[in-house]
Formats: sequence, structure tokens, C-alpha cells
Amino acid sequence: MKEKTIYEHLREKGLSRRDFMKLCGTIAGMMGLEFVPPVKALGKTLGPSPEEVVAQALKTRPKVPIIWLEFQDCAGCSEAISRSSSPLLSNLVLNDIAIEYHETLMAAAGFQAEKAKEECMKKYFGKYVLVVEGSPTLDDDGIYCTVAGKSNLDLLKEAAAGAAAVIATGNCACFGGIPAARPNPTRAVGVADLIKDKPVVNIPGCPAIPEVTTGTILHFLILGQLPETDQLKRPLPFYGHTVHDHCLRRPFYEAGKFAGSFDDEGARKGYCLYRLGCKGPTTYNACAGLKWERGLSYPVQSGHPCLGCSEPHFWDGGGFYQGQSTPIIRLDRGSTATLVGVGVAAGAALAGLNAVKKSRAKKDLRKDQSGAPGSEPGSKKEG
Amino acid sequence: MNWTNILNFSRGPLLHVAMIIFVAGLSFRLVRVLLLGWARDRAKNKGSKLWGVIVNYLKGLFVLPFIPWVRRTFRHNELTFIAGGLFHLSLFLVLVFGTAHILVWKSLWGFGWKGLPTPILAFFSAVGIISMIVLLINRLTHPVLKMLTKFPVWINWLVVFLPMITGFIMARHLWFRYEVIFSLHLISVSLLLIWIPFGRISHFLFYFFSKTIHGAQAGKRAVTP
Ligand code: HEM
Ligand code: HEM
Ligand code: SF4
Ligand code: SF4
Repeated sequence: MKEKTIYEHLREKGLSRRDFMKLCGTIAGMMGLEFVPPVKALGKTLGPSPEEVVAQALKTRPKVPIIWLEFQDCAGCSEAISRSSSPLLSNLVLNDIAIEYHETLMAAAGFQAEKAKEECMKKYFGKYVLVVEGSPTLDDDGIYCTVAGKSNLDLLKEAAAGAAAVIATGNCACFGGIPAARPNPTRAVGVADLIKDKPVVNIPGCPAIPEVTTGTILHFLILGQLPETDQLKRPLPFYGHTVHDHCLRRPFYEAGKFAGSFDDEGARKGYCLYRLGCKGPTTYNACAGLKWERGLSYPVQSGHPCLGCSEPHFWDGGGFYQGQSTPIIRLDRGSTATLVGVGVAAGAALAGLNAVKKSRAKKDLRKDQSGAPGSEPGSKKEG
Repeated sequence: MNWTNILNFSRGPLLHVAMIIFVAGLSFRLVRVLLLGWARDRAKNKGSKLWGVIVNYLKGLFVLPFIPWVRRTFRHNELTFIAGGLFHLSLFLVLVFGTAHILVWKSLWGFGWKGLPTPILAFFSAVGIISMIVLLINRLTHPVLKMLTKFPVWINWLVVFLPMITGFIMARHLWFRYEVIFSLHLISVSLLLIWIPFGRISHFLFYFFSKTIHGAQAGKRAVTP
């Protein structure tokens, strides 16, 4: 029997045609289809609208199975998806595109769950999408994170072998995240550091914005390929701009109006949070554009400086509440005093040396002039 | 290697090493000069040393810059004087009243202050940059100055110009991704900090030194410095 397409599946579940087209529009918007080149790749630049591209894909493509692995993490990214307030999208991804294996969300547990995963990996070999949440760890062959008796390294390699594409969600899976914060006790790394032979895309964030993860999964589903990415493998439609680029406090930044504390006049007036440690200028994420909770707000809007959660090693980039321009390693009073001491000592030593040399030279001069070596009391003969 | 890591490196270890060399190097320079010693001033104390110092600073900072024609340096070369003055003024305002820089001072000393509005800073950093270019052209074209200008002086110019221009581009968000130009700014600042103890830019330290001594000497003799 031919595999059911997503459209057939959705109709069976009672979605009307009208709702279906609306959904396609939403998806097209979510994927940022209007401004990414892959539409051109389909040869459909002039033809159908983005919704129609989506509709056509959903009508012809079968469900894409997803295997979702969790390594060293807090499950916050899964939490964000399962509680995201775009129920349409997360439902679509979780149920209708089909997540076959997700330890935290699936009903099955134990051996049953492991068996389901193995069957899925076999059945859909070369077709499924592997989503990784949490950082793999290298130290001692990965024994610091094991599931069902297997180290996370083995689990990752095994699952990646049959994947059509790998999506790392959250800063941990992308760059090591919090487990990789200094001193990185388990030697946590990003998925892309380990998986080199498959297309990998990074959706960093802490947590990743759920709509961005689902949007990227949908992108793969609809266009059959991962979106274009930047140097850090982050999809450009979502990570093409900094939080600062689209920040609603930006006019205050331009005017040089900054909140000096969390409860001063400036903070009440909505001034820029740069002085309070905002990392928005160097943080590429969709927060300010897409916002959270269906466009309700995002951290900077709510009054908190951006932590830079979608950038590598944001945990070690200086204090969260310390301005971005401050040196990461501070020269404290003690070490400053030591350095001054070293400089002074070196200067004094050199001066002393010079003085000795000078007095010797003087003496020698006098000796030469008097022509009587050793005539001075206490002077030593030199060899 | 990506630019986020380069930025973390320049904000971290690079700047740290630069500051270490800066502090230790300047202390070294200062001690060397102090220990050279100077001739005993045998004049009798007829006035007040402190008063002489105060008058000397006030005059140098608030009077002479506004009536420059009484000075020989000005009559000699007005352009150098004006461009040099504007450059130092801009540099001072940007370093002391730029919000990004205030945060650096705050991280060092534990307290900060209010900055100037960005448009004013933008104006002055542009003035500073243009002044530096004028000074450079002057050096390149003036027949005598050109001969006097040795290699280290060109380096002086470069290590001051680079932080100025990268800072300006960064604050206006022109052409570069922010983390790229931010890294370049910090790399050039580090270069400046490392170079200062070895070159003549350390004059900012010795300026206060000589101003104080001259003021005190004049005060002692009860003459206007
Ligand atoms: C630790 C040392 C320094 C740090 C961390 C630092 C950081 C910064 C930052 C983050 C900005 C951009 C602010 C914004 O985006 O609005 C900036 C601007 C600037 N910096 Fe620095 N800077 C340092 C030292 C210097 C030095 C030594 C110079 C000059 C010799 C300099 C010259 C400038 C200039 C001209 C601007 C542009 C100001 C404007 O037009 O608004 N900086 N600096
Ligand atoms: C209290 C602070 C300062 C004072 C009173 C001061 C004073 C002066 C004076 C009188 C000159 C002209 C004499 C000469 O050409 O040697 C000069 C030149 C210069 N200063 Fe400063 N300075 C100060 C701080 C600085 C700082 C912090 C920098 C750089 C970071 C700087 C960079 C320069 C440069 C590059 C020149 C050469 C300009 C040219 O090409 O003619 N100065 N300074
Ligand atoms: S609050 Fe942060 S992101 Fe917004 S304008 Fe200020 S520095 Fe930029
Ligand atoms: S505002 Fe910054 S720290 Fe907060 S979620 Fe967005 S990117 Fe992360």
C-alpha cells in the first residue's frame, strides 16, 4: 500500500480544506519562505505562492519520522515545544509529522521504548530526521551520559547513521551549552563536532525558540532539504539578524539613553539595557522578530538583558549583568598592585645597576687619572 | 574558528595580557624617569608650590587653549595645534563619556557615571578621526616634519587611529557584523595598550609629571607659571 500523505492524514483527522490552506500559510510564514532562496531551488520562483508550495508538499509527501535523543540537558527545549502556545504547529510536528521516539514525551518506557526506536531506525533507514537535545560528552568514552546501558557517543553515532538530516536543538546540543561551561568536567561538545558525514543544522537557544525548531523541521519536510545556514550552521531565516537589530528598545540605544539599574527611572521608561549587560548586539536569534508566546513578548521587552543564549560559550562570556564591553578577565586590585610592583622593581633594579656601573666608571676614571691603582681605601681590585 | 570565539578571545586573554603589559610597562617607565633624578632646586621658597601647580594646570587646560596665539607652538604651525587639540579633546570625551568605555572604567574601579548622548559622541569621534587624518597629511607633506618623523611615530599614529576608526564603525553599525568589528576594535585597543609603554604615547603620564614639577618650581619662586 502507498504511504499516506500528510494531507490525507490531516483530512482524516478532520481538518477542513480551508483550515488546511490557513495552516499552509502559517507554515510558509514560519519557515520564512518569502525570503529564503530554497523556493527558487524548487524552480517555483514565479509560479505558486509560498502557501501553495507548502500545500503541494503536504499533499505529496508522507509523514517524516523523527527520532529525538536527549543527552546532557535540562529537557527545557522539549518543555518549550510541548508547552509552546502555537498548538497548531507543535501538534503538527509532534503528532502529524510523527515523532516516533522521544524518551521524555512518549508513553512507552524502558525496553519497550528502546525496541520502538530500533524498529523505527530500521524501517525508515536513510529517511528519518534525528533531533538532538543536550550535549554529547567525550570524556572517558562518553560514560557520563548513558541511556539503556549505552554511552551517548554510541547512541548518537548509531542514530545518525540512518538519519537523512540531523537537527541540534538548544545551545547544549549545538555548542556544548551549560555542560560545556568552564571547566567542562565531562568534555561536552556540540553535535556537529562529532557528526561530519550528515547535514547538521544548529538551533541554539536556551531554550531554543520552539517555533524555530518546528519551523526548521517543517522546512526539511516541505523542501526536502535543510535551510541555508550561517558560519555556525544556524538557519539564516531565523538567525540572520541580531536581537539588537530588531530590538524595540533600539531607538533608546541610538539616542544613548540607558537604564542604569533594574528599577530606576530609565528602566521604567523602557530605556536600552546595554549598561545592565545586554548581549543583544552580538546575539543572533529570532527573539526580537518572532518573539515568544505567539508574539507576546521576549526577554528584552520584558525588561531583562539578553544573555546571548544562542551564541557559543555564552555561559563563559563574562557576567550576565556586566556590560558587553567589559573585559572578561578582570585586572583586580591585587594583581594590579603586583604588576606595578614588578614594573617598579624592574625599573629600580635597572636604575641601581646603572648607578653601580656609573660609579665604577667614575672610579675607573679617577684611577686612570691618578695613575695609582688601589690608592683609594676600600676599593677592590677587579680581575 | 568563528568570530564569536575570536571576540571571546579578544575580550578575554588578549585584553588581559595587554593590560598586564600596560600596567607593568608604564610603572617601569615612570620609575626609570623618576630615578634619573633631577638637579636640586636651591631657590628659596618665596611663594606656594601648591598654588603654582594649580595655576599651571588651570592655565594649561582652560586658558591657553582658547588664546593659542600667545604660544610659539601655535604661531609655528596653527594646523598641528588645532587638529592636535581637537584630537585630544575628542579622545578624552569618547574614552571618559562613551557608555561602552564607562562600563570598562566601572569594571576596573567599581563605579560608573552617566555618558554623553550618542549623537554628540558620534560627532566628536568623527572630529577626532578627521583631526588624525589632518595630522597625518600634515606629517606626510610638511618638508621638515617629514624628515623628523621616524618609524615609531608612524606606529604611534597607527595604533591610535585603528581603535578610533573601528570604534566609530562599530558604534554606527556600518559594514561589518558587530562581533567582527568588535573583535577588531579590541585587537587594536590591545595593540595600543601594549605599544604605549614602549613609545611616546606614554606622554599622557609624563604630561602630568612635568606640569606638576614646573608649576611647583614657578610657585616656589612666586612667579606665574
Ligand atoms: C578596553 C578597552 C576598550 C573597550 C572594551 C572598548 C569598547 C568599545 C565599544 C563596545 C564601543 C561601541 C559602543 C557601541 O556600540 O555603541 C566602542 C566605541 C568606540 N571606541 Fe572603544 N573600547 C576600548 C578602548 C578604546 C580606545 C583606547 C579608543 C581610542 C583610542 C577607543 C575608541 C573608540 C571610539 C572612537 C568609539 C566610537 C564612539 C562613538 O562614536 O560613539 N576605544 N568602544
Ligand atoms: C592628559 C593627557 C594628554 C596630554 C596632556 C597630551 C598632550 C599632547 C601634546 C602636548 C602633544 C603635542 C606634542 C607632540 O607632538 O609630542 C601630543 C601629541 C600626541 N598625543 Fe597626546 N596627550 C595626552 C594624552 C594622549 C593619549 C591618551 C593619546 C593616545 C591614546 C595621545 C596621543 C597623541 C598623539 C598620537 C600625538 C601626536 C599627534 C601628531 O601627530 O602631531 N595623547 N599630546
Ligand atoms: S536592549 Fe539590548 S538588544 Fe535592545 S537595543 Fe539595547 S543593547 Fe540592543
Ligand atoms: S533575548 Fe537573548 S538570551 Fe534571551 S532568549 Fe533571546 S537570544 Fe536568548
